[in-house]
Amino acid sequence: MEKVKTPVVKRSIFSWILPGNIKLQVLLLFIITIAVFTRVFPLEMQKRIVNEAINLRKVDLLFLYCNLYLAAVLLASGLKYFINVLETLISQRALANMRKDVYHHILTLPLSFFRRTQPGMVVTSLVNELATAGDFVGSAIAVPITSVLTLLAFAGYLFWLNPLLAALSLSIYPMVLLVVPALQRRANSANKKRVDSSRDMSSKIAESITGIHEIHGNGAYRIENKKFDALVDKQLKIRIVWNLYRFGIKVTNNLFNNLSPFLIFIVGGYLTIKGQLELGALVAFLSAQGRLYDPWRELIEFYQLYQDASVGYRKTMDYFDVVPEHALVPEGRKPYELEGSLEVSDLSFVTEEGIQLIDGMSFSLRPGEHLALVGFSGSGKSTLAQCIGQLYSYTGGHVLIGQKEVSDLTKSDVVHNIGYVAQAPFIFDGTIEENLLYSCSSLIEGNGNGKGDTMPSLDNIIEVLQQTGVFADVLRFGLNAILVPDQHKDLVSRIIRVREKFQRDFGHQLADYVEFFEEDSYLYHSPVSENLTFGTSNRESFANRDLCRNDYFLKFLREAELTRPLLSLGAELSKQTVNIVGNLPPDKAFFEQSPISPDELDEYKPLVERLKEKKLHQLSSQDRETLLELALRFTPGRHKMIGLPDMLEKLILEARALFKERVSADDPGAISFFQMSDYIRSQTILNNILFGKTKTEKPEAQEKINQSIIQLLIEEDLLETIVEIGMQFQVGTKGDRLSGGQRQKLAIARAFLKTPRILIMDEATSGLDNNSQARIQNQLDTRWKKSTVISVAHRLDITKTYDKIAVLKAGKIVEMGTYDKLIASKGVLHELVLGKK
Amino acid sequence: MNLSSGKNEEYQSSEFQENLEILRQIYLFSSLPLESLKVFAYLCTRETFKQGEHLFRQGDDDGQAFYIISGKARLVHTNGDAEQIIRDYETGEFLGGMVLLGNMHRLFSLKALTDVTCLILTREKFSTTVQPFPDLMPRIMKSVAERISAWEGGFLVSLGEGCEVCGQKVGVSLV
Repeated sequence: MEKVKTPVVKRSIFSWILPGNIKLQVLLLFIITIAVFTRVFPLEMQKRIVNEAINLRKVDLLFLYCNLYLAAVLLASGLKYFINVLETLISQRALANMRKDVYHHILTLPLSFFRRTQPGMVVTSLVNELATAGDFVGSAIAVPITSVLTLLAFAGYLFWLNPLLAALSLSIYPMVLLVVPALQRRANSANKKRVDSSRDMSSKIAESITGIHEIHGNGAYRIENKKFDALVDKQLKIRIVWNLYRFGIKVTNNLFNNLSPFLIFIVGGYLTIKGQLELGALVAFLSAQGRLYDPWRELIEFYQLYQDASVGYRKTMDYFDVVPEHALVPEGRKPYELEGSLEVSDLSFVTEEGIQLIDGMSFSLRPGEHLALVGFSGSGKSTLAQCIGQLYSYTGGHVLIGQKEVSDLTKSDVVHNIGYVAQAPFIFDGTIEENLLYSCSSLIEGNGNGKGDTMPSLDNIIEVLQQTGVFADVLRFGLNAILVPDQHKDLVSRIIRVREKFQRDFGHQLADYVEFFEEDSYLYHSPVSENLTFGTSNRESFANRDLCRNDYFLKFLREAELTRPLLSLGAELSKQTVNIVGNLPPDKAFFEQSPISPDELDEYKPLVERLKEKKLHQLSSQDRETLLELALRFTPGRHKMIGLPDMLEKLILEARALFKERVSADDPGAISFFQMSDYIRSQTILNNILFGKTKTEKPEAQEKINQSIIQLLIEEDLLETIVEIGMQFQVGTKGDRLSGGQRQKLAIARAFLKTPRILIMDEATSGLDNNSQARIQNQLDTRWKKSTVISVAHRLDITKTYDKIAVLKAGKIVEMGTYDKLIASKGVLHELVLGKK
Repeated sequence: MNLSSGKNEEYQSSEFQENLEILRQIYLFSSLPLESLKVFAYLCTRETFKQGEHLFRQGDDDGQAFYIISGKARLVHTNGDAEQIIRDYETGEFLGGMVLLGNMHRLFSLKALTDVTCLILTREKFSTTVQPFPDLMPRIMKSVAERISAWEGGFLVSLGEGCEVCGQKVGVSLV
């Protein structure tokens, strides 16, 4: 359709009005014409009703005209609604397209752009600023045409009725045009002052609150009051002036609008008495005049909208008006399959601020050679890696990959041949699997036809998970998943078998780390509710969160004499928790160990206030329910803000036995009690295997438990199944449910899966423990011999096995060679490894 | 009056309260306002390490600060095959002012000589906590700077003229 597509940031706001909307806009125009007619038509009917029907006392004419009037009014309303529908359609579509196009454009902008851009800025631009522009596009045709046509139609009709009177009543508008904008300007300037003075006042309040101890300490109330009062007085004056102008505008508008009928009455009345104007015409005149104001106001508002929209639109577009440095896909050819040689000659990189980060580097690598970059911080290691990976555009010299200049390659060429693991890799919201396949999917999607490219197989993925050491983590996620037993009947019975073996082979050995579900012991890592029921409910009403509303259970609590102690526990727990986390931001780190979630704080804060004034029995039943609910959640092993009193522990243990007795008699089947032979639906796979919960987060303990479980899972041939479940783990926004090390391993795994010819690792293992680093280095040394590897090393001992080491200092390569050779030469590497002599 | 007084006193003997008492004695936290100290006390966890287990290992970046509640642990530096014992840490000692501030790989290993119970605060929790309290970081920086300076001052005094190579390595507090 279009030959050369204008970049979205160069498009004018008007360009959104017609393209893609022509049919809609033509339809809109057509409807508007009819709508304008239906607006004028009732006026003529009014005139005829008075002149012909009433004056001549003809009832049939009265009915006819009234019905026509009614029909016109109904049609007008219907059409008005239809116009709004079309407007909305056009404006929302334009907005959606603007957002998509701008977003697509922004993602291709060079990294340097994002170093000086706040993410918040991009968000507001896309979310808020463009919305007005969308509104404008929707009304760009409809509003001005409707208003102008209506104005013209009314004015024409008036002139047709009586030119003199029409000229008189229209003469008022030029005056309004003169007076109102002048008032508006003054109101605007007063408004600006008001905003400024509000800011002064706010900062004054903030200052006093922060320095309140000083005010109290010095008894300086009067001084501070005086300062504040002066600011308030100043604002008082500004606000009065501002409001006076605002009302002035309203009053003026009203005045002029009401003056019009006055003119019509006096002149029109005179003419009617003299018989030069029909009474009906006068009536029509009056109502037409009253309706002139609406299209007039719409026009003015439209003008305002146009101003706002075009300013916001231009600002946004100009902000993002940066040219992407590289084409995304090659034209007329497939992406290159480059060989892994690298030739860097006289390379330099100067930032926009004029800082020289790379200064004339030259070296070359044969396909399959491994190069480690080392040096002091600020020596240009990362920058060099990023220049080779086309993430930064070098400002001088050459980088050739497979004899092709990197800056001339398209993005698609680059991702086909280079795998890049960033220093702080980013993990996106989604499952582990989606993140693992991130590079591969985008590669295949970029190819379109997917020539010969297929997604890695499960075996392939598991192999890479093991190579990068993230296997244990994924297994852990799988073990921590809660199964729906009905969907995994076979799996469930095999897990029970694993449980039996675990108890037999490891139960005793790991007793220190696991709290087993033993009927006679209190479970410190389970909530009070589970300690009471010691089972999983099979009824909705016995589910943990509804327990505090279950009458049967409440009655049981009363008989077990637990109601009051539990309420008291709930009260203490809510007080302590609100006291500690009450004012903290809703961060996962803060609320992991809290029985109250951030959303619930608003409910608990006032409750804690009430607790200060009332005794437990004085609380409302709603409050008591809330406290009970909280008490039932209390898990002493996790919620450390209060301790579990010994008395209460004993009471709960006694009640557990009583509860089992009662339920078995009254409602057998309501609860599945924890039993070695049964799968527990409410618990994770891990807890089911352990038949208990882990007590500690200590890595060594976790490792021991893992080892034993992996051994058993292999015996049962369940390992892959659990890993598959683990790969469905949701990593959270920015991967925040993963640790830093897990994120790094995942990023390495996703680069490994792509098997690129050139692999660039920018301090890719910096957050990993020794074993994981060694494992990954070992993989590089053995399995990645065919690929060229460029690794920015954060530690020197891992560089021993590299073919070449380049030592960088202040943007230059100061020495290059094998580890042994460089150490022997006692140069800079020697100094880096052994420190300054 | 409220529930926390009188009969329910046993709720008060919680881990949280004990942690709070401990933190108030540690140089890194002692100057901090109670409001933030409470959050640290709440986020700390306790772990017990059996005799022979490692609290941390040389080369790892575990990002944890330790306070030894009970027991004894030995700090060791390994160089190739040679293992050098640096010193022992005992009940009431704290390690971690630096590890909380930034990423670093352990230069030493710490191994439990007896069963050791510790209070642990991770770097991740630490940095999440300092965010909503903007006035914390300057105070913490100040404490750490003073601590480093005092440490090296002590080191210089006990160094005397003992070790020539050590003498050239003096000056950590100048970094």
